[in-house]
Amino acid sequence: MPDEVILNKEHLTGFLRKIAKERELIAPVKNIHGDTVFEVLTSVDDISLDLDMKPVMSPKNFFLPRTEVLFNYQREGKKYRFEEVLPDVHRVFFGLRSCDLWGILFLDVVFQEHFKDRYYLNRRSNTVLINIGCHEPMPSCFCKSATSGPFLAQGYDLQFTDLGNRFFVEIGRPKGRELVEKWDYFFGPPTQQDRDEQYEVVLEAESSFDHIVDFDTATSRLMNDEVEEALWEELGNRCQSCGGCSYVCPTCYCFNIVDRAVSETKGERLRTPDACTLAGFTRLAGGHNPRHERRRRIRRRFYHKLAFAKDKYHRPSCVGCGRCVEICCGGVDMFHFIKVVCERGEKSKKVALTLGEILLNAGLISREELEAALERQLTSGKALGVQLIDDGLVTRDEIAHALSIQLGLPEMAGTGGVVGR
Amino acid sequence: MHRVLTTCCFCACGCNLYLEVENGKIIGVTPSKQHPIARGNLCLKGWSSFEFVHHKDRLQYPLIRRNGDLVQTSWEEALGLVAKKFSDIQKNYGAQALGVLSSAKCTNEENYLLMKFARAVLRTNNVDHCARLCHSPSVIGLSNAFGSGAMTNSISELAGAEVILATGSNTTEQHPQIARFIFDALAKGAKLIVVDPRRIPLSRFADVYMQPRLGTDVIWLNGMMKIILEEGFLDDTFIKMRTENFRTFREALRRFDLEQVKAISGITIEQLRRAARIYASVKRAMIIYSMGITQHISGTDNVQSIANLAMLTGHVEQEFTGVGPLRGQNNVQGACDMGALPGTLSGYQSIADEDVRKKFERAWKTNLPRAPGLTAIDMFHGTGDKKIRGLLIMGENPALSHPDLNVMRAALQELEFLAVADIFMTETAKFADVVLPAASFAEKDGTTTSTERRIQRVRQAISPLGASKPDWQIICDLSSCMNYFMDYESPAEIMEEIAMLTPIYGGVYYDRLETGWGLFWPCLNRNHPGTPFLHKGSFVRGKGRFEYIPYKAPAEMPDDEYPFYLTTGRIAEHWHTGSMSRRISALSREWPEAFVEINPNDAKRLGVANRKSVRVVSRRGSITLNARFTDDIPEKMVYIPFHFKEAPANILTHSHCDPEAKIPEFKVCAVRLERV
Repeated sequence: MPDEVILNKEHLTGFLRKIAKERELIAPVKNIHGDTVFEVLTSVDDISLDLDMKPVMSPKNFFLPRTEVLFNYQREGKKYRFEEVLPDVHRVFFGLRSCDLWGILFLDVVFQEHFKDRYYLNRRSNTVLINIGCHEPMPSCFCKSATSGPFLAQGYDLQFTDLGNRFFVEIGRPKGRELVEKWDYFFGPPTQQDRDEQYEVVLEAESSFDHIVDFDTATSRLMNDEVEEALWEELGNRCQSCGGCSYVCPTCYCFNIVDRAVSETKGERLRTPDACTLAGFTRLAGGHNPRHERRRRIRRRFYHKLAFAKDKYHRPSCVGCGRCVEICCGGVDMFHFIKVVCERGEKSKKVALTLGEILLNAGLISREELEAALERQLTSGKALGVQLIDDGLVTRDEIAHALSIQLGLPEMAGTGGVVGR
Repeated sequence: MHRVLTTCCFCACGCNLYLEVENGKIIGVTPSKQHPIARGNLCLKGWSSFEFVHHKDRLQYPLIRRNGDLVQTSWEEALGLVAKKFSDIQKNYGAQALGVLSSAKCTNEENYLLMKFARAVLRTNNVDHCARLCHSPSVIGLSNAFGSGAMTNSISELAGAEVILATGSNTTEQHPQIARFIFDALAKGAKLIVVDPRRIPLSRFADVYMQPRLGTDVIWLNGMMKIILEEGFLDDTFIKMRTENFRTFREALRRFDLEQVKAISGITIEQLRRAARIYASVKRAMIIYSMGITQHISGTDNVQSIANLAMLTGHVEQEFTGVGPLRGQNNVQGACDMGALPGTLSGYQSIADEDVRKKFERAWKTNLPRAPGLTAIDMFHGTGDKKIRGLLIMGENPALSHPDLNVMRAALQELEFLAVADIFMTETAKFADVVLPAASFAEKDGTTTSTERRIQRVRQAISPLGASKPDWQIICDLSSCMNYFMDYESPAEIMEEIAMLTPIYGGVYYDRLETGWGLFWPCLNRNHPGTPFLHKGSFVRGKGRFEYIPYKAPAEMPDDEYPFYLTTGRIAEHWHTGSMSRRISALSREWPEAFVEINPNDAKRLGVANRKSVRVVSRRGSITLNARFTDDIPEKMVYIPFHFKEAPANILTHSHCDPEAKIPEFKVCAVRLERV
């Protein structure tokens, strides 16, 4: 079996039906109220799979549930009896976004780094992750800047690219290969045209972000303590400690442990997601809170997600999914934070450019060549990048390099520190 | 796991969220992304709203008092006793000796049924609920001026305003999702005026922040209007075409002495002038206010002054422009709409109106009492004819939420018979002779009406816990025990009756609420699209009415013996008397205990230490709680949230009320502080 295959869109339902028979199939679904959420598909018929909108919540809660019973306890006389509740699930996620998949890879490292968290790993080890590359990033997305999308170079089990009437499927980790091999009759080999088109989609997607920020500059400013107190003060005033940013974030993994009594003699120990913007998160038993003021908590949050994560895991934990951007009550989100930190330092010149402008600026093509290529593109129907390559004016590598230089970003979302381990 | 869309049970923002259900238990929530207010997020209360549902303290079977103790019993015996006691009291003392407190936490259908039960079965108009304690002045004040007591505009219109004036509303804490629209407006360049005795978080974003003394709102509002009048910022056309009584108002305002403003409120003329110019010089300006305006003996005066200001500048009757009383409870708007008030039936139809009464009598097949009933406050302070002897309380906790608790609790003790329906053993339920276990919001169907008049569905996600029942079923069963049969098969059927009898809800049917995020009342018939902003083209009462309001000082002011002002309020992480929020781990961890906010300078003078105990004493009683230092409160003033039963702020408050709205003055009283 090659590393890349083609799945005709007409065969998607059939493929998913096979999966759903054997495993729990989870995919983004648009419900009757118009909200897109990850749902367990009990039937693949009669559902409206939504591969366009970003689900409200990341898939995190499937691995770290909102209410997770770790064990039950029962008092018998003076003794306690405990009964562990270990999860046993076999799941396939279809239609994950690259950012969300990255989030899971990040959690993988956290939950087995020093201590193997069996609850997490039990859920994770029997889970297959299939992402769909974002050919049209949404307005709040900035995964390109976070180097976690819109397409992934590795880390996925399968990666789908939408080519109109068919999916270009890249096979990643062994669990993905198993699925394709098991139902190989749904898939066919890709042609050179499929590969070109896929490349074209990736290229278009990479250059179509409204939101571009410079993680490295912001992170190093934090590491050098260059962010002025006034900014923390303002963010602290804007934050309302709703916890929303942590709850929706694909990588926020902090949790709280509480015991819930069920009756006088029985109870359960729960793990619940926690949020560092809450006062109770750091308050000590005696009542003292080292981060009593909101600005201290906000500061800690951004330090943790950017600087500390970079220090420990070689990359920020933010995957640029844009959820906090969309939901924050006071505009205290990762995108705006990075933007402001960069702007308040030396002037950042990052602006969204078209691919043509980027190549022009890089000196790879002249304006005449660009205009001629645009002209030819009208009749050929090819994407600009492909047209320029076909015309022999630039190579793929040159385009990729120019994109990364011009946008000030690492080349193509890839391995970073996490997957490499 | 499956999800059920419902409306949040906490505040009146009306966010929609999905309850996540697994094996008959609610394990989490997801906010709705498409919902126009939730927009993919919730406040911390909303994110945690599912947690209290399965708390072990939930009441799961009826309780009856035997030999002084509340013990488990059957529904049959519990309801039988309530029916018998109510019938006895009715027979022995007359129907006016009975009363009911309805609930702003219950659904429209439940409030409608309970007011129907009071009027048709108990035969009394003694029906009220906690709107008495929050926005009764808005209902009266805005009705006097505009003809309707609700928010004139929808919440999202705030984002389109050029100027927002927020007063007596700690919006970021109490209506975080509404504050989000204020931030949206600011991002688009809107100007913000904040007027609040406490330096609330929103004040840090204000173009003008004014810090009046407690209870001086009429003064600065009159001052602001005088400046607008003097500087010619009036909207003459609007005043001429749309309002009445302006000339009398103008003459009185001309006689108002601007010098008073600084002397009484502490606000400087310069500040006020800046605020007046900002507010009056734009086309689209919204005023939002809340308890800081209403919980005064001058509550109605304050509201009417706000209405005057809006009319003077023509800032009403349009999109993005109006007056918004931000309601507190998830269904306090609906409970008022449903006629859980002593003087009105559903849809604010007056009980005194012969035609209205006839319409209801025909539908309910009974005669209705004519005399207006007692308010929630008067029910506990009456004597002789006005004395309540038998009371039914549904989902309210006056033993913590009413003012002057020592007197209030004595009154509860003195009742001949008290029945309480609730989900937890509240401080009030502890006084009861019969306690009826109710289902929580997650266990029933219904509708609630948010602060912007948006009627939305509450949907059942799980079965009622134990033997508990939704309040509407409890009322139906009780009513049947008293030989008045209510045999509704579902809340949808109750809503059909509401729609038939209530013009502003005339087009509200469950099928219309399935998708599309609810309907704004007035919604007159099936084809009516609903009304996001009121008074379009003309005021509901015809012409808007100006009424000059003179200043009236608070009932109790600091003196030598009690030198501090006390103001009471809420915090973001707790809900009212805490029966739900204090049983939620994340919320109780945020604020585990009561506190009193005090200015560090005062604390220093008194020798009080931060986070250490202090006793707060008023003429009514005293409580001991921890001091919390903050510059956000001025000197000579302290602030206590009223959520904590261990140190109830309402032990200290007094029960002097606004003469019209009968709202107690929770926001001002006098106390002294003592070292412990």
